Amino acid sequence: MTGQRTAWTRLRSAMRPHASRGNLLPGLLCALLGFAVVVQVRSTQDAGLDGLRQSDLVRILDDVTERSDRLRTEARDLEETRARVTNGSTGSRAALDEAQARARVLGILAGTLPATGPGIELTISDPDGKVGPEVLLDTLQELRDAGAEAVEISSLAGPAVRVVAATSFEAPTDSGGGDGAGRVVVDGTELTSPYRFLVIGDSRTLAAALDIPGGVLDVLRQDDAQGVVTQRDRVTITSLRAAPSPRYARPADD
Amino acid sequence: MIAAIGLVLGIVAGIFLEPTVPTWLQPYLPIAVVAALDAVFGGLRALLDGIFDDRVFVVSFVANVLVAALIVYLGDQLGVGTQLSTGVVVVLGIRIFSNAAAIRRQLFRA
Repeated sequence: MTGQRTAWTRLRSAMRPHASRGNLLPGLLCALLGFAVVVQVRSTQDAGLDGLRQSDLVRILDDVTERSDRLRTEARDLEETRARVTNGSTGSRAALDEAQARARVLGILAGTLPATGPGIELTISDPDGKVGPEVLLDTLQELRDAGAEAVEISSLAGPAVRVVAATSFEAPTDSGGGDGAGRVVVDGTELTSPYRFLVIGDSRTLAAALDIPGGVLDVLRQDDAQGVVTQRDRVTITSLRAAPSPRYARPADD
Repeated sequence: MIAAIGLVLGIVAGIFLEPTVPTWLQPYLPIAVVAALDAVFGGLRALLDGIFDDRVFVVSFVANVLVAALIVYLGDQLGVGTQLSTGVVVVLGIRIFSNAAAIRRQLFRA
């Protein structure tokens, strides 16, 4: 009890204002302490990197370097992936372009696309009605041998038929035109004389193939018919044919 | 009394003057502050024990600060500045706690 009281008493007596040279210096030191505390607190609050010691700075630098290395590796991986993806897409685009070009070529051959190019026009006038389907078929074969790439047969003022690999020539079976002279059924379409072939290919080769001795034009002359060949820089075939879809056949794996 | 007034004056001066710590002092100031706190608590304990002597207080205050700064400087030179600073703070913290406990015992008997 007395100890406690003396402690409080001493504290109270110490707090009593009495100035002496003796406790002036401790007061000065305490002022210095308070000043230093405040200064340190402030500098800690707004301390950036400049408040750190060398070893800490080295450690931070190491951390940053390591981190940037990791990020650089990651960036390199991502760039490689991007390059791979980009190459893949350009590759597939090239494949798509090629496939489309091939589809266009096949469309011309199958008669599903209009075609244009140099070629000839062959007009067969047959006043006596002696030109039958076999003559037209021979004509077509001759044209194919000469490198015809797209062919259309039409009446001069009538329907037109795009010629494809499966094209057939028949004599008319109905009684529409009496004896059937001057008429031919091509792929189910009846054409009447005069006939006109539009052919795309090398025009000079085609014309020469028709004009050889014993060739198409000779045969026509023997039948009292007349064939006229006109070479053209540009022949346009617009008649089309629906693409047949096979019922049974499927593409076979290679 | 003078000491308490001095403490308050120092804090006020620090707040209003807004000084910046010079670079050469930056590693030492925190340790010096802790060491000075230790001296102040020791002085308070001595005061309550009735054996306070201002000469001893001044000497212990200055010596504490100087030794703490010296230890930090030595640690920096040896490359163990961070660890040594931590050690000094731990030791001084223990001393502050024991002094505070003695003061508490003196004042409250608990």
